[in-house]
Amino acid sequence: MKYFIFSLLLITAAAQGTQALIEFKSPEQQALFKELTHELRCPKCQNQNIADSNAVVAVDMRAKTLELVQQGQNKEQVLDYMKSRYGDFVHYQPPLNKFTLILWLLPALMVCGLIVLLLVRRRAERSLVLPESSEKTQPQPLEQQLDQLIEQYRRKS
Amino acid sequence: MIAEYGQLALTFALCISLALAIVPLYGSFKGQQTALQLGNPLAYALFLLTAFSFWALSYAFWSNDFTVVYVATNSNTLLPWYYRLTAVWGGHEGSMLLWLLTLSGWIAAVAMFSRSLPLQFQGRILGVMGLIAVGFYAFVLFMSNPFMRSLPYFPVDGRDLNPLLQDFGMIIHPPMLYMGYVGFAVSFAFAIAALMGGKFDSTWARWARPWTLAAWMFLTLGIMLGSWWAYAELGWGGWWFWDPVENASFMPWLVGTALIHSLAVTEKRGTFKSWTVLLAIAAFSLSLLGAFLVRSGVLVSVHSFAADPDRGLYLLAFLLVVVGGSLLLYALRMNSVRSQARYELFSREVLLWGNNIFLLTATLVVLLGTLFPLVHKELGLGSISIGEPFFNQLFYYLVIPFALLLGLGPWVRWKQQQVQPLLKPMSLIAIATLILALGTLAAMQSIQANLALLGLLLGAWVGSSAIFELLQRLQQFGSVKQGLTKLNASHFGMTLAHIGFAVLVIGVAMTKTYSVETQVRMKAGEQVELAGYQFMLVEVYPLNGPNYKGEAAELDVSYKGDYVTHLHAEKRFYTVQRSVMTEAAVHARLSRDLYVALGESLSDDSWALSFYVKPFVRWIWLGGLLMALGGLIALCDKRYRRGASQKDAVKQKDSADA
Amino acid sequence: MRKLAFFIPFVLFIALSVFLFSGLFSNPMERESSVINQPLPAFALPDLQQPEKIWTPDSVKGKPYLLNVWGTWCVTCNAELAYLTELREQGVMIVGLYYQQPVDAAFGEVFNLSALQQEVALKLEQQGNPYQWNILDKDRTLIFDLGVTGAPETFLIDAQGIIRYHHIGDINPQVWQQKLAAAYQSLQE
Repeated sequence: MKYFIFSLLLITAAAQGTQALIEFKSPEQQALFKELTHELRCPKCQNQNIADSNAVVAVDMRAKTLELVQQGQNKEQVLDYMKSRYGDFVHYQPPLNKFTLILWLLPALMVCGLIVLLLVRRRAERSLVLPESSEKTQPQPLEQQLDQLIEQYRRKS
Repeated sequence: MIAEYGQLALTFALCISLALAIVPLYGSFKGQQTALQLGNPLAYALFLLTAFSFWALSYAFWSNDFTVVYVATNSNTLLPWYYRLTAVWGGHEGSMLLWLLTLSGWIAAVAMFSRSLPLQFQGRILGVMGLIAVGFYAFVLFMSNPFMRSLPYFPVDGRDLNPLLQDFGMIIHPPMLYMGYVGFAVSFAFAIAALMGGKFDSTWARWARPWTLAAWMFLTLGIMLGSWWAYAELGWGGWWFWDPVENASFMPWLVGTALIHSLAVTEKRGTFKSWTVLLAIAAFSLSLLGAFLVRSGVLVSVHSFAADPDRGLYLLAFLLVVVGGSLLLYALRMNSVRSQARYELFSREVLLWGNNIFLLTATLVVLLGTLFPLVHKELGLGSISIGEPFFNQLFYYLVIPFALLLGLGPWVRWKQQQVQPLLKPMSLIAIATLILALGTLAAMQSIQANLALLGLLLGAWVGSSAIFELLQRLQQFGSVKQGLTKLNASHFGMTLAHIGFAVLVIGVAMTKTYSVETQVRMKAGEQVELAGYQFMLVEVYPLNGPNYKGEAAELDVSYKGDYVTHLHAEKRFYTVQRSVMTEAAVHARLSRDLYVALGESLSDDSWALSFYVKPFVRWIWLGGLLMALGGLIALCDKRYRRGASQKDAVKQKDSADA
Repeated sequence: MRKLAFFIPFVLFIALSVFLFSGLFSNPMERESSVINQPLPAFALPDLQQPEKIWTPDSVKGKPYLLNVWGTWCVTCNAELAYLTELREQGVMIVGLYYQQPVDAAFGEVFNLSALQQEVALKLEQQGNPYQWNILDKDRTLIFDLGVTGAPETFLIDAQGIIRYHHIGDINPQVWQQKLAAAYQSLQE
């Protein structure tokens, strides 16, 4: 799919006299360059990726990324190159290790936990017999009426 | 002199807020009517004094009073008058004053529109809001005073407003955002007041709902405006960056949305009570956490105000008192409240719980992504960054089950729903979904686009489900026409808001998949082609603005030979702050945006230009707008204007409503 | 049991506040260095004043030294020159790595070596010369490989050519006493 889009880009970008600012050997390389410059973080800026920053280090990183991509390196190789010099800080995707596992584990646990919570509460509320509560303004007949109406609706639809 | 009056008014306001915090609360516990009745006049006085103070600061900006330090750091004589007034909230101190104005505005609104509330309850709400106000007024007066003078020395001219903020977006985005942020204080106060009293009947939920909806509506608008503004202003076509400050506004929104839906269950069925109360506390707590993160310097952000650890300490202490105190009260008091309800596993209650599951997990994801780097570093494990790739990945997984449930939800009845009657409508919706999604992709000549396909499927599922359900409900009144007059506003609001969500999802998926861009070097007279559009650079000429210099580019755009529009892009150099700004040229249509940014001038008279064609990007903000509109319509529901004397047991027929 | 469950949000919040509190006192932009305990990256760069002479990592072996990244354009670097010169007089070996800012071809700027040499010579004469020699990193290649983001930054390199310490910011008496002096001394043995 990406091939389709960026081949569109490459074919149509050529026109009378204009020249792309950066030449790529293939649309995949262009896509990779774009992806990397959006995922690499400028180590000196106030939270910007290297695509948007004009700091010297960001410009240098962009140039280096371009060089490596044009040499044919893949995403992981370029990221490793940058991380070995500037640390994990410079990639917007956190590394996956036993400490950062919690980033994915906790949301998954939360979904499961909330499902369990619903089931537990539902069971507890069903079996609960309240002595008398100020909310029950009328005794059983209304509850029965409600059930009847629901039955009616169900039969109708 | 005006600035001094402004500060004086603020000082009086602090005293009033102290009275507001103490008197009605005292009256509510001792049963003293007079004390309780003082709540309203105190609230109005607070608002009037704060409004005057705000006016005083605005006047200082208007009249270019550079003896006031805050004015000198944020304004300039060359700044146009509308930006001079906007600069009032351009920096930390002034934006805090805007916060105070918004807070006192909501307090006054609660005083004005709570005739139907029992006086004791209303007194407690005003009291809690008064307590919050004391904390903030004290913060502004003692730690962030916008009225400080630098006399006897003062600059001849000011440092100018940051050029990035000299834009229409700055005029509306912060006020809307603050109305939302601060508005959740009202639901918070409702929750605390109820905890104090120990009563959580469904009337409590009915009273709390419109206030929550109103705050949610403003926050939705505020976030959408921020996104739109960043897109128009920053020059690279992006509309969300997962920056900590953006996340700080997104988290209360997610919890607020969960809260609205949980309140629906509590109002209609009397269950989920402890959950709703917790969410009400959480929504405002996240607003406060956001304020802390933005102003303390704990996180790195392009948006953050100048960091001051002293302010950070104060805000953290305030956070501990308000959030810690309320959660403690919750833990101590909530246990004695029980609800009893019976509902099957296939029922609206359960589906709304599903809504909460995914919204709150999304909140957790945003919270983790924003704060985990800090925790990781404090634990000595090193510095990591969490940004777009992480958030996109997790939201991708969360939005799918969420949207699927959303399409199903409005059809499912309270308490119990049989599967059989739903089979026909659901199949129809599924067919409509497939036709719409595949049809759109066929029209765009690409069936394989994965993200776009997914977005279209989910959006069409939610959207067509909402419309079909509405039609079916309207028909139950006899005919669609009859239904239009009879069906309550709540239902229309719900349908519109859900359609808005569908539109948003489609916009995001389509623009992410189909946006194309190119960066080229061009001379005047040359042309570039992108996605069928021809962009011709007509000329580039120098600019002279009120407080900037620069260059402007004129371009002609055609589509397959037919003339479309003329575009004007600028690159500005703001002389006082010495910063460069790109004013991108945008041609907006619902189907696509054309976006051109003028870059640097290169040797041999050519220019670097960036061109973007972004299909469906407007759908993102349209979706947000529809959601906010849906909230507004739901707010107008008649039942919120009913007196407390009327029973809620009326209208059993509405059992299928939201 | 149910009663205790209601305390969970409170407990979680307090735990979070602990981190927020400690976060107030740390610098979020502070980053650990990725090159500690690694050998100096390979490089072959000319001397600033005598370009025929090429420096490599093997040029200094056998004694620990400081590699100081600096530039005449950098105000803080100029301020630290005096103290660094003092350190040189105390026997600390300091090598300069000159951070050359990018030249903007679009504005017709060109890199002028002799102008730079004169500028550097003048600055060192005025503020003091702590450097045994200066390596010119015109395209910032070594600077990039060292993970440098600005100036001044200083590396402490041991006798075997392994990087032992990476300090970001200027070197003044407090910094030297608290952070570097002990390490430098221990490397001498």
